[in-house]
Order: sequence, then C-alpha cells, then structure tokens
Amino acid sequence: MSQRGNIPILRVGSNLLTTIHIDLHDTIAEAFQEDVLVAIKNTGAKGLVIDITGLEEVDTYVARILADTGRMAALMGAHTILVGMRAEVAATLVRMGFAMDTVETALDVDDGLAMLQARKALGRK
Amino acid sequence: MNRAVPAPRSLSETLKFDARELNSRRTFFQLSDDDLARLKGLRPFAERHMDDVVEDFYRLILSHPEARRFFPDDETIRRVKRLQRDYFLQLFDGVCDLAYVENRLRVGAAHERIGMAPRWYIGAYRHYLAILLDRITADVPDPAEARASYQSMLRLVGFDMSLAIDAYIAANLDTLGRHQAAIRELSTPVIKVHDHILLLPLVGAIDSERAQQIMEAVLLRVIGEKARAIIIDIAGVPVVDTRVADHLLKTTAAVRLVGGKVILTGISAQVARTIVQLGVDISTMYTVAELSEGIELALGLVGKQISTGAT
Amino acid sequence: MADVVQRWEMPIRTEDDVILVRRKARMLAQERGFDAFATAALTTAASELGRNALVHGGGGGALIEHLADGTRSGIRITFVDRGPGIADMARVLAGGYSTARSLGLGLSGTRRLVEEFDIESAPGAGTKVVICKWTRY
Ligand SMILES: Nc1ncnc2c1ncn2[C@@H]1O[C@H](COP(=O)(O)OP(=O)(O)O)[C@@H](O)[C@H]1O
Ligand SMILES: [Mg+2]
Repeated sequence: MSQRGNIPILRVGSNLLTTIHIDLHDTIAEAFQEDVLVAIKNTGAKGLVIDITGLEEVDTYVARILADTGRMAALMGAHTILVGMRAEVAATLVRMGFAMDTVETALDVDDGLAMLQARKALGRK
Repeated sequence: MNRAVPAPRSLSETLKFDARELNSRRTFFQLSDDDLARLKGLRPFAERHMDDVVEDFYRLILSHPEARRFFPDDETIRRVKRLQRDYFLQLFDGVCDLAYVENRLRVGAAHERIGMAPRWYIGAYRHYLAILLDRITADVPDPAEARASYQSMLRLVGFDMSLAIDAYIAANLDTLGRHQAAIRELSTPVIKVHDHILLLPLVGAIDSERAQQIMEAVLLRVIGEKARAIIIDIAGVPVVDTRVADHLLKTTAAVRLVGGKVILTGISAQVARTIVQLGVDISTMYTVAELSEGIELALGLVGKQISTGAT
Repeated sequence: MADVVQRWEMPIRTEDDVILVRRKARMLAQERGFDAFATAALTTAASELGRNALVHGGGGGALIEHLADGTRSGIRITFVDRGPGIADMARVLAGGYSTARSLGLGLSGTRRLVEEFDIESAPGAGTKVVICKWTRY
C-alpha cells in the first residue's frame, strides 16, 4: 500500500492491521494518521487494529493522534481497536488524565481481530 | 514486561566501586604503593605471628558476653579462626586492587547476614590493631621503622573498615527493599480463578501509594495472564471515600486500556450510599454486591467473548 | 543532601532533539534501576515538556542530571526556553486548557508523574520547568 510514513499497514481479510514499532515523533504520527485513512478509503476496510505493543511510551500528543485516528476511521466506516498497550503506558496515561475513552481496546492482535469478526457476525456497522 | 530480578552482581558492581573510586578511597586513606610494599616486606613477620594473633584476637572477643553470641559453637569458632588467618595474611600480600576490594566487601555483607552491627567489628578492628602494635614494637628494633610499619597497617585496616561498613549499609538497604517488596506482594494478592479471570480481594485501607501499587500489580497480571476480566472485591476495605473511589476508577480505566475489564464486588449498602452521596460516577464500572455474582458476571463476559469470537 | 553525579546539556531545536532527550532520560533511568513504571513516567514527562519547549516556547534546551543522595538515585531534568512564557499559570496547571487546540494535559499531567515539579514563567521572559524523580526502594 502506498504510504507517506514508514509504518506498514497490512490487509487481513476485510480489516486492516498496523503495528507501530518505532518512536512516534510528531511528523511520523501525523503521516501515520494520513496513511491509515487513505488505506481505509482504498480498501473499504470495515475494521482497523492498531498494535502498539512496541511503544514504550505514549504521551498525550501521540495518544490523541491515536484516539483521533480511531474517530476519523469510524466516520469512514471502519471500527478501530487499539491492542497491546503496555502496563506502564496505560498507568502513565491514566495518571495524566487521558484514558482514551473513545477507543475500543483488546489485549493483543488476535483478540482485536476476533472482536472485529464478532462485530461483523452480529451485523453491526 | 515484568520487573526483572537483576542477575546477581559482584558487590563492587552493586556499590559502583570502580577503579576511580578505588583510587579516590586509597588517596583518602593515604594508602600508597609504598605502604603496600612495606606490608609485603612484613610477610615473614605475619606468618610468624599469625596463629598467636588470631588466638589473642578471639580471646578478647569471646570474653565479651554479647559479642560471644555471634559464635554459638566450637565449630563456628574454628571456622572463623581459619577465615581470620586468611584475612590476616592478605593484609601482607602487598596488593590492594578491585579483587581485594570485592573480598573485603564480602566480609561486611556476611556480617550483615548474621546480624552483626558495625559497632562490633569496629571494636574488633581496634583489638586487632592493638595486638599488631604490641607485636611490631617487640619485633622491629628500630622505633622509626616500627612506627612506619604500624602506620601502613593502620591505613590498610582503616581502608578495610570503610569497605566493611559500605557493604553492611548496602546489604541492609537491600534487605529492607526485599521486605518492602514482600509486603507489596502480600497487599495485592491477585489470584487466578479461571482461564482469563483474575480475582483481587482487597483488605485494609487504601492510600494513594498503595493505590498505585495495586494499579501496577493488576496491570502486570492482567497482561501476563492474558486476563479478560479482573474482579476486585472491596468487602475488606474499611473506608471507601471519594479518593478510594477515584483510585478504583483509575485502575478500571487503565485495565480497559490494556484490553481487560474490571468487575467491582463486595459493595456494602453503606459503600453504595457513600458513593451516591459523594456524587462519584462509577457508571463505567461493572459492579455487583456479592463476589459470587462477580464471578458469574466474569464468566459471562469471557464466555460471550469466546463464543462470539469463534463464530 | 543530593549530589549531582553527572550532567548532560542538550539542545531542543527540532522534533528529533526532543526524542534524543527522551532517549537519554530512558537510558539513564534504566541504568539507575528505575522500574518500568517509573521509567515510563519520567520519559513521558520529558516528552511532554520537551515538546512544550519546542512548540510553545520556540525551542530551548534541556539539562539532565543524575543525582545521588547516598541511598537512592535521582534524575532531574530542567527545560528552558526563551519563548513567550505562560500568562495564565493557574489555568494551565489545572489542566484541559490549551492555546494550541491540543489536549492541554501536558503540564498538569506531568506534575502527577514526578515527585518534584517546579515551574517558573513570565510573559515575555520564557519558561523553565524542573522535574525530578527518584528510585523507589
Ligand atoms: N514552554 C512553554 N512556553 C509557553 N507556553 C507554554 C509552554 N508550555 C506550556 N505552555 C502553555 O500552556 C498550555 C498548556 O500546555 P500543556 O499542558 O502542555 O498542553 P498542550 O501542550 O496540549 O497545549 C499550552 O497550550 C501553552 O499555552
Ligand atoms: Mg504540551
């Protein structure tokens, strides 16, 4: 898939899977958001799993980009699930007062994809 | 992911005792290479007196009833005398490098393990030096030479003493840290009740420090066990005020972020009243009165997810 | 009293500089035995404050110091810029207020992540924020 940034976005069935494995500074984070939205448009994906197992820290700026990406994806018809957040990242975000309430979460990629499948089976948008 | 237990390291490493520190410490104790050379020259003297010095030393120590307690039986006494002879001879090796430091640090750590406080071995070192002073003045006819020899011993023994105390303090802090870790563990007893379901019965007051420990322990376990739900039972928490409720909400939010769910159980009538009267919004939490209902609810959550996930 | 064992001065002129400060803080925290939670708290705080110095303060610098008080290790980071300063400090520290249409949780959140937090700022005179975190027993 053609991308501006260097975070790969894979197609898994009717869903997209993207694994963030590099330090997200602002420009990369914005390019990532753009790439995801373009990919949803091009593939007509109904679901998106964002895997952040590799992120050792997520500040409020990056957390917001991730949360916004989920909301934008929803507007384009794709449901987003954020997976693999580390314990220390979750604790830090909550302590800072940003619990990313708008984003659905799962433990890992398998769980995230299974949840998207379940949604599809239930016929939810 | 887990807080790793560090691999066993040398004491010098733990105490960050490197070549730079060795240099600085030796300078402070005025322990020069000349001193070491002089001590090495006294090796025959040391070998000649080794047995009497050690015997003398323990006569003094064992005559003190409280000091004696550290040496419960003859076997122990024989063993420490043997160690003491090695220690004594090493003073006259003419070497004071990092290996020597490591060896001396072990002495201090060993004392901490048997509960021997620094005051005892500071006293013991004094006995040691007193004995050495007698022997050296008797053996070395030239008073200036005897004095210089004694000075060198004083420097090295002082240096040794500083290491023993450093090691004692570090070992003590380490013990303290391990006790605190054990207490932390006991205060957050997370139990696995079923595949993907954990239970944390909370007992006792929750201040903000404990609340943070609870959150961290819960998150690590949820991830480690791939738990979909954790039941937190608060029947044993005496006071649930706004602060405690807020901590529980934060833990719930954090668990959600890693992909799990919190079910709160053990809510008494009084706690329910307090929560409503305080105006705390706990609508984001799954709450039930009894632990048994909580487990049922958790099974429902997990089961539902598994069955729909499989279709 | 705490001694400064070592110090590093780093510029904050670009996004990459902010990342370098954050990485240095992470390396130091791990070396000094901070656990994963304390490390994440410190580096996230560094990320927030570094970004503020760059975005709101127009660039500046960070001073990272490794402290020791005999039993514990500490890491202190000072962020300085010569930007416009903060006019309404109370509002900014309360959280949720941003002049950049972002979340406005950087300063208020950072404060909850560290043991020591100190901010000095005046309109036109730039901003200085000092944070410090210590190892736990
Ligand atoms: N270094 C700084 N120089 C000038 N203004 C600052 C600085 N840091 C923060 N501010 C002001 O404080 C506000 C809140 O900062 P912060 O809590 O980090 O949230 P955000 O960066 O999302 O706006 C900023 O919008 C800005 O107006
Ligand atoms: Mg900010």
